[in-house]
Amino acid sequence: MDLTKNKNLSGDVVDAQELTKTFGEEVAVNSLTMKVPRGTIFGFIGPSGCGKTTTVRLMTGILKPTSGQVAVLGKQPIHFSKSDQEKIGYLIQNFVLYPELTVWENLNFAASFYGVGLFGRHGRLNKLLEFVELKEAKGKLARALSGGMKRRLSLAATLVHNPELLFLDEPTAGIDPILRRKFWDYFKGLQEQGHTLFITTQYVGEAAYCDLVGVMYEGKLLMVESPEGLRHKAYGGDIIGIKTTEWIRYENRKKLESLPFVKGKIKVINDQEIEIVVDEANTAMPALMEASKAARINVEKIEQISPPFDDVFVRLIEKETTNVQKIL
Amino acid sequence: MFKRFFKFLIRISSFMSKELTEILRQPKLILTLVLGPFLVMFLFGLGYPDQNRTLRTTFVAEDPNSIQRDMKLFTASIPAIADQDTENNKELALAKLALNQTDLVILIPKNALETVRSNQQAKFIIYHNEVDPFQIAYINSIARIYTDEVNRRILQSVTETGQQDAGSVQGNLENAITKTQALKQAIPPGDTNTAAQVSELEKDLTTVQEQLTTFRSMGSDVLVSPFTVDTTPLSNVEFTPTDFFAPAVIVLLLQHLSITFASLSIVRERRSGIIELFRVAPITAFETLIGKFLSYLLFEILLAGVITILAVWLLKIPMFGLWTNYVIAVIILLFTSLGVGFFISLISETDTQAVQYSMLLLLASIFFSGFFLDLRLMWQPIKVLAWSLPATYGIRMLQDIMLRGASIPPLIFEGLALIGIGLFLVNWILLRRRMEA
Repeated sequence: MDLTKNKNLSGDVVDAQELTKTFGEEVAVNSLTMKVPRGTIFGFIGPSGCGKTTTVRLMTGILKPTSGQVAVLGKQPIHFSKSDQEKIGYLIQNFVLYPELTVWENLNFAASFYGVGLFGRHGRLNKLLEFVELKEAKGKLARALSGGMKRRLSLAATLVHNPELLFLDEPTAGIDPILRRKFWDYFKGLQEQGHTLFITTQYVGEAAYCDLVGVMYEGKLLMVESPEGLRHKAYGGDIIGIKTTEWIRYENRKKLESLPFVKGKIKVINDQEIEIVVDEANTAMPALMEASKAARINVEKIEQISPPFDDVFVRLIEKETTNVQKIL
Repeated sequence: MFKRFFKFLIRISSFMSKELTEILRQPKLILTLVLGPFLVMFLFGLGYPDQNRTLRTTFVAEDPNSIQRDMKLFTASIPAIADQDTENNKELALAKLALNQTDLVILIPKNALETVRSNQQAKFIIYHNEVDPFQIAYINSIARIYTDEVNRRILQSVTETGQQDAGSVQGNLENAITKTQALKQAIPPGDTNTAAQVSELEKDLTTVQEQLTTFRSMGSDVLVSPFTVDTTPLSNVEFTPTDFFAPAVIVLLLQHLSITFASLSIVRERRSGIIELFRVAPITAFETLIGKFLSYLLFEILLAGVITILAVWLLKIPMFGLWTNYVIAVIILLFTSLGVGFFISLISETDTQAVQYSMLLLLASIFFSGFFLDLRLMWQPIKVLAWSLPATYGIRMLQDIMLRGASIPPLIFEGLALIGIGLFLVNWILLRRRMEA
């Protein structure tokens, strides 16, 4: 299962250029340009219906692009050979395996249609069931499994042929937060084994687990950033929170606002708490301490604040829509 | 090359084991599939014993006399007519017919003898209350048999009277011959001309007497009906309705099961979304189709085997042909029926649609395959529809093999195989389209 030993970990596994897909008048994916480096967890985030699944379908060769192109593992997906397809794993949004088959039989079926040889298959399936913690349930019919177990079975079926690149379409949709967390642990484990993961999700908070995050909105890829980079983009910089022992006067706030590395206006949380956006938190924090001291502001606590990704996402979308409205 | 072939086999096996496991996981379904047809045939055999329908008959003799009573009695030799009662009133008899208290009302003609003597035909009027064209045809046939029987009986009676009358004629004839012989003796020896004429007369009278003797010695039934008929099947076996219908029931059942299984197979996978997974996976449309064909074929061959064993050994359905021919015919029937099923599956958007198409095909097969209506009676253009159904070929093949002991009719076999191969290719193309971008 470990790919790190024999795979070249450099380069991009996905390279999309102006990728567009339309269905009649509707533009599902609009000029998407992005790259997915090998060995990363690439989160593809956006609200429901924004074009995430269509993008995955374009990348797996299920759909033909209307224009533009995409190379996956160096090839156009619609021209994938069987050996190319053996390098790809695809987890569909819904549970599509067979309810009347047991966990083991479903997994065995997946192994067969991926052409996994009979030699060593038994051991491999057992390992996978162990990995997704379904070993105890291997004799259970799929229809008797809980939603979370079904997702884990689907994940195991996706991994059965040990693919290099995994496309996981909303793997955590509809499952509880504890299990979601567990799934991300599985994904981290897979990344450590050398797999590249392209994961779509509408849970914005899951961006934190990714190496890179693509933000999709209404068919357009707004940006590809690291999780921190997203926050930075959303707020125009890093956020520093200051808590004082006494009321912060207006003139003192103005003094801090006038510092060259402070961006925009200071956000007042309450009489003793403010939030300041700066270029770089690491360099700005000592400077802010100095300035506070000079202005006789008695600082109780100063720290970098990481706003939740839900807020980051909403802010990014708001920014984008404002920009579009301005253009229009 | 070997590795690729091995992978091909592995991918095919995925569907074989999956489909078979899914079916075998439903023991009730299997039990129904095996016992259902057997019970249908068994109950059919019980329900339709080898006998014709007996018609409860009411005679209407508005003017009873001896000949009318005789006409009633004539029905004794026609088992299909059960003499129920006699009415004097036609309206009363027809009311009974309307109330289903009787099946036939035979109106005996008034003054039949006088009518015939006046050189006219006397007419029976037979009333019935059937709506089924086959029952109406049956009644018409019984009516003809009845009229023939009445005519025969009357002719027989007339003949018997003629034979009795011929007795006295024969006596007179003997006197005439004796007198002719005396006359012959009395002719002077030189009158050769008269002697020759009398000899001729004596010879004619002797011939007539011999013919009369023959006429009187013959049975009246032979004189009236010199010919009878006896139909014998080539196999020398009289088939019961169950014997006749059993091969057709097996064919219809196997076709219907194949179509139903196959028609739900791909449409369900499309609906569930797993076909999307197949598109991304290295499995091809050809491998998918072959895998599915083989799994269902294997299961249904076993099913056909069990049903056939039950039919032949328990229901005693005749099997005059070769088992190898039977197996070949069943396999080609299943192959083509599965092709029809997969075709339905590939053109249907929902399970319901697929089931409806399957039911429609079953209905079409019952009416157009020759299941209970002879194909030779069918209007030529409609025969195209009949010969597009696998059941039509299957019934013909199994009836020939089982009941006639014949080999597989080559044209029938080739026709069915051609449809099967054609469907496989069409299904392959359709599935490829479904699995492609």
